[in-house]
Formats: sequence, structure tokens, C-alpha cells
Amino acid sequence: MRLYKKVGDTVQILSFPDEEVEKGSYLIIEDEKTGRGLITQVIDVQFANVPGIMEELLRDSAADEFMNGRDFDPFNAASHILYIQDSRILISKIRGMVEGGRLRVNNSWLPSRTRSTIRRLPIDSLIKLVRIERKFPINLGETRESSQLVIDARALDGKLNIITGKKGTGKSHLSKLLILGLVEHGATVVVLDLNGEYTSLGLKADGSKNRYHSKIHILKPGVNFKVALSRVNLPVIMRILTYSLDLPGISSREFRRIWRFLKERGSLSLHSLGEAIMGWKCNQHVKDALYSRYYALLHSNLFTDNLAESIDFGVFLRRMKGGGAVIIDLSDASPLDRKIIVEYILGKVQELLAQWKLRALFLFAEEAHLYLRETYWDDIITRMRHFGLFTTFITNQPNTIRENIYRQADNIFLFNFVNEHDLEIISRAARVDVDTVVSIVRDLPPHHCLLLGDVVKDFPIVVKVRDLDIQTMGETRLFFTKEKVEAGKGLIASL
Amino acid sequence: MGGYLQVSTDVGEVIGGRSGEDENALPLNPKIITAHLTTLKPVRDGTPIIAIDVSSVKIGETERGILCAIRGAIVWNERGKYGYLRVGPFPFHITEENKREMVELARFHHPSMAASLLRLADVQDRLSKLMERWLQMSICCSSYGSIILWDGSLTAGTPDTPVSLLTRLLEIARRNGNSILAFSKVTNVRLLGRRITDLIWKYPPPCVLRLDDLTTLMKGQIRVMGNVYVVKLCRGGLPFRLDVDGGIPHSQGVLAIERILGNEILYQGYPETLRLAHILSTFTASEVIGIQRFIAERYNLKVIVRPSVRRMLFGPFGTRFED
Repeated sequence: MRLYKKVGDTVQILSFPDEEVEKGSYLIIEDEKTGRGLITQVIDVQFANVPGIMEELLRDSAADEFMNGRDFDPFNAASHILYIQDSRILISKIRGMVEGGRLRVNNSWLPSRTRSTIRRLPIDSLIKLVRIERKFPINLGETRESSQLVIDARALDGKLNIITGKKGTGKSHLSKLLILGLVEHGATVVVLDLNGEYTSLGLKADGSKNRYHSKIHILKPGVNFKVALSRVNLPVIMRILTYSLDLPGISSREFRRIWRFLKERGSLSLHSLGEAIMGWKCNQHVKDALYSRYYALLHSNLFTDNLAESIDFGVFLRRMKGGGAVIIDLSDASPLDRKIIVEYILGKVQELLAQWKLRALFLFAEEAHLYLRETYWDDIITRMRHFGLFTTFITNQPNTIRENIYRQADNIFLFNFVNEHDLEIISRAARVDVDTVVSIVRDLPPHHCLLLGDVVKDFPIVVKVRDLDIQTMGETRLFFTKEKVEAGKGLIASL
Repeated sequence: MGGYLQVSTDVGEVIGGRSGEDENALPLNPKIITAHLTTLKPVRDGTPIIAIDVSSVKIGETERGILCAIRGAIVWNERGKYGYLRVGPFPFHITEENKREMVELARFHHPSMAASLLRLADVQDRLSKLMERWLQMSICCSSYGSIILWDGSLTAGTPDTPVSLLTRLLEIARRNGNSILAFSKVTNVRLLGRRITDLIWKYPPPCVLRLDDLTTLMKGQIRVMGNVYVVKLCRGGLPFRLDVDGGIPHSQGVLAIERILGNEILYQGYPETLRLAHILSTFTASEVIGIQRFIAERYNLKVIVRPSVRRMLFGPFGTRFED
């Protein structure tokens, strides 16, 4: 490999066919005389602009198409000619500089074109060089060099994370891996599970219990997740009414009065609340508005008057001392119920965190735009993370996450995208340049992920996410099953 | 070998190389000429058509001389099916010390010219010609009842093509029932100040104009060994000077041309086999770089890029290809 050109933070390196380098690989350009090295990452591999190549290809294609022939080439010069014709230009981005074995921030240094040597920098060496720690290891999988990529769970602590990629690329799989990794290290995780994909986290592929089984708790609203209204604090219920059920201000004021009235009398229950609204002396419109919201709460099946069938979500979370994951199964909830449930959970979590009843909590939210209110996004990146709520968004529609979220995300896990519009949106992430994102992400195979941000100390790394021995629940239900396809083959054969 | 290999910075898209020659430098300008125009009819009889072409290219310079490469191509068309054999590239290191040996190897040493007077580039041409004649000889000996197409003319008596050699080649071909036809892409033969190819412009193709008196023309030792024609083989095609083996009767010569018409694809009036032979032997710029790499690696030469003096002196106006 030879250094060819540098423009801005991009260097072009001439590479030959026997030098195996692919997109995402790291190279180090070393200048022995100065004792420095430039770390670059290959973001694109192009053919070198060899003069006369068009004529060569035209000639070869004509010869191949309608002629049989052979070459008598005793010196085997053709192999050298092909070698030149297959030479490539590696478009690489400068990621850092090494001096005396230590990483330095000086991207303005230019190595000698004639003197410098270029070699591949294995990911393992890069990790040592940039000092990616592994005190709380989460093994994500294999790099392209078949070495294991282990990140430190602390890189997710206090951070805002995004997992995105087109359908079927392995987003949920990675988030499961991260959840189990965090649980392993004693973290408390809440998963807003839109499609019931995470409900088997505690089971192996064969259906038997795995070692996380006791730490995975599945809560299905209306089934094993009901809350006694008497244990719900007014601020939490007001959040639900205001943000999920759009209760107007005047009606909210009346509701507050009713709530306090019932609380003071010690008779706060679903039943008494309904009766109180009916009998409350107020404007009929307000009464109607309150009553319609009351019915929405009633039909969500989240609230109950029966203390025996209710759980105290706060106590439930606090009991998970050694870490664990609470999967909120929203798969059967209607859109409105989903909003009520999520608003309750977030209100409760915020309450617990504000009162230091919980130290910190990791929230995994899949397709959050379907149940999160608009203003909550800003809450997450400003207020909530100071309380100790660290969110990971998982989506296949990158446009549902606002640009300011991308800009402030600490870690981004990117799977394949080919759509130009999607690529444009994700390229707004501030942790890396547009060229890297567009070029590498476009060609990522399924289950390969580009890691950006703190987890890799801002050195983008491609990883093949490892398999997990858990039961898969995220597969799409299909009409044409394997059996039907086999039967179809028989039918074709009979024709 | 060791040392350095100096290459030029001016590598165009296609180097091309020296491909035989279109017409040996024969400054003929006859005053009187008899011409016969014949209309041609295609004869489709499956006669095989074989074409030969050779190219050479300068690869670079060493401290002792020049490096060049030579490659030949034989293309055949048998009942519409094309085949080829490419021979080479053969690299040569031509130095002041070995050029005499090289010229003697070529066996066409011109008694009147001492090897010491030859430029190294001339030796490259001699070697190229040697290979071309070798391929032509091989085809003349091994083919029967074919039409053999050469690039250039059937002019002999030049330093690299003695009359005896060309006579022998034509005789062998004739003995095997082959007809040798040489196409010149460009001709310098003029009649009354006009190029002979201009004489046929206004006649409808396919037609051939026979120029009888050119065969007998001699200038010093230079002789035309074939019957000279100007042919225009297809509508919209270009006219070419065509030399047909002078040892075969005119009627057989015309039949050979009619067989080309009937059995060969014509591109702009030029036979496809000969066109392909030229294309396959020509060196592209990437091939030159590949050969430079091969030589540098095999003989442990360090490649040095020679700056273009013309470019340095004249900037964008220094465009002429430099040796």
C-alpha cells in the first residue's frame, strides 16, 4: 500500500489486489523517521484510475464474447498487467495520530508519501491503543478480523443510545444482547416491548430456562400488571390525563379537586372516582370531559381496586437489587392504552429516581414514536438523564427520531440502510462524518452493526453481532410456512 | 540486472505502440499509370481468413539503453467463427553494446548500414519486424487455401525486409494455396499529385481499381512485390491501398478480394480479422505499467519517473509524445 493523496481529513491509499482491505478496516500510516503514525479508517474501496483501462476492458470483452483464443505469454507478464488493472484506491478517513505509542489529537500532521509504510491495524490493537476498557464487559460479537469485540457497560451508563437499521437487520437482537449484558452487571432495565419480542429473554432457544430467567420479569398490562389507584400519586395520574388523554386545563383543575377530596376521605378507588365525577357539581362539559377520561382509565385495565391483584411498580423495581429486566409487554394494548401505560411507567420511574429510591435505570424503547409524547423526547436528552434514566431508542424509521436527538446521542448502533433518505437522516449524527456513515452503512450485511460513539471511543467499528441462545419472538408471522413451501414444490413437480 | 528503470510521465490512455508499418516508405510518384476498375461480387465459400499484426512499445530507459516490449497477434476467421493467438509480450533490453547482436539476430542486417549508426529505437523496429515476419512465416507454412492478411504493403528491399525474404514468404504461401493480401491504412503513393486512394471515391462499392504499372516501379533497392489495388469494399467505407501477391494472376487476386467480401465482416471497409489483430497486439497504458512493474520486479530495477522536458519547457503546449 502506498499513500497517494490527502484532501481534508480524507486520505487516498493505493492498494494492490493481494492486500486484503475492506470497508471499515483500520490502517496505520507509519513514518519511521518522525516516529509518528496516522490512524485511518477505510470508508470506501474504489478501482484505481489506471490509464488505458477502458480500452483494455473493451478489448477483453470483445475477445471474450465472440472469439476463442489463447495467449502465449512465457514471461507471465499478464499477471502483472492484471495486478495493475485490479489495483484499488482506498478512501480513508483520518481518525487520529499516534506518537510514541500514545494517541494524540493532531490530525494536521502529514506523513511522508515516499517514506511512510502502511499496514493494517487490527481492531484488537486499535482497542488497546485507544484504551477501550472492559471492566464491565459486554461481548457484542466478532469484528471482521474474527476477534471478539467487547465493550464496557459503563459506556452505556448515563448515555443516550440509538439502535437503528432497516427491517430484519438485527436491531432487536442487539438490544437483547445489551439488555442481558446490563442485567449481568446488576443494572435495572425497563423494556417497552411493542411486539412482545422480549418476553422470552429468560428462555433458551430450546424453551428451557437460561441463567437470566430469574432476573427477567414480564409484565403484561391488564393481566399481571395492574396498579391500585389508591397507590398512584396525583402527579402521575395528572401526567396521564394531560399528556396521554389530553385533558384540558379547566377540567384538570376539577379533577385535582375530586382526587384530593377522595384522598382526604380515604376513599380513593376506581369505583368512588367514577361516582364522584358523576356527582360533582361543575360545568356539564367539564363533567363530560372528566367522565370520558375516567372511562379510558377504566378500560385500560391498568388500574384496579383489588389490592391483591395489584403490584406496586416502585417496590417491584426496588426489589431487583442484583439487577434485572422488566419487560412491559405492550403487544396487546391499544394505541391509547399504550400511551397510558407508558406515561404511568415513566411518571413512576421519574418519581422513584427523583426521590433516590432508585439509583439509575436503563430504558429500552422500541419504536418509541408510537407511544411517547412529543415533549418527552426533549425531557430525555435534557432533564431525565440527570435523574438517572438512560434511554436506548430502537427504530427502523430513523425519521421518527428528531435531529437534535441524533446530535446528542452518545452511542449509535447502525445497521444496514440503503434508502438515501434514511441515510441522510442518520448521517446527521454528530459522532461521525457523513461519508463514513453513508458509505459503510449502505454495505453492511445483516447482523453487522457499525458502532459509533463512546462505546468505541469515537473510533467507528463494524461488528457482526453474536448469536444469543434465547428463544426468538421477533420473527414475523408468515402465511407461507416451510411446510406450505415444501408442499408447493411437490405441486410444481407434478405439473 | 540492478540499476534503475526510467519511465516517462506522459502515459496516455492508449500507448498503441509501433504496429508494423502502414506502407514502407516508398516515395513513388509515377507519371503514367494504367488503371482498371472492376466491380466486385462477394464469394461466400468459407475460405479461412487469417490476419497477423505486431506491436512494439518503449517501456522505459535504463542507464545502458532502452527497454521495449513486442507482442504479436494472429486472428483467424473460419466460417464466421473467430479465434486468436496472442504471442508475447516479449521484453527486450536494447543497449549500445548489444544492438549489433540484436540486428544480427534479426538477420536482415543491411550491408550498407553499420549497426553502430542505428538508433536504439531503430533496433526496436527491427525486432518488431523480425517477430512479424516470423509469425507470417509460421502462418504461410501451416495454412492451406487461406487468405492471409498483413498490415502494410508488399514492399521489399528495405533494411528490415530484404527482397529475398519477402519472395520466399510469398512463394511458400503460394505453394500452400494461400493468397497474401496487405492492407495499408494510409498510403503515400500519389498519382498526378493525388493520393491513389482518392481515385476511387466516386465509384460505387464494392469495387477495386487495379494500378498495373506500380508493380514494375523500383527505386534503388526498394521494390513492390505485389499487384497494387485500391479497394473500396463497402458503402460508407474507406478506400485502402491493397497489395496482392504479385505471383498470382490478377483474376485470382480479384477472387481473393471477393472472398474477403463474402466471408469477412467489414468495419469501415476494413477486414475485421486484421482490425482485431491490431487491437489485440496493441499495448494499452495499463499494460505498459504492468510490464514496467514486471521488469522492475524481475530484474530488481528501481523505477524512476522521468519528467517530461517538453512539459517542463512548454507547459500545456508541450503535448507531443516523447520517446
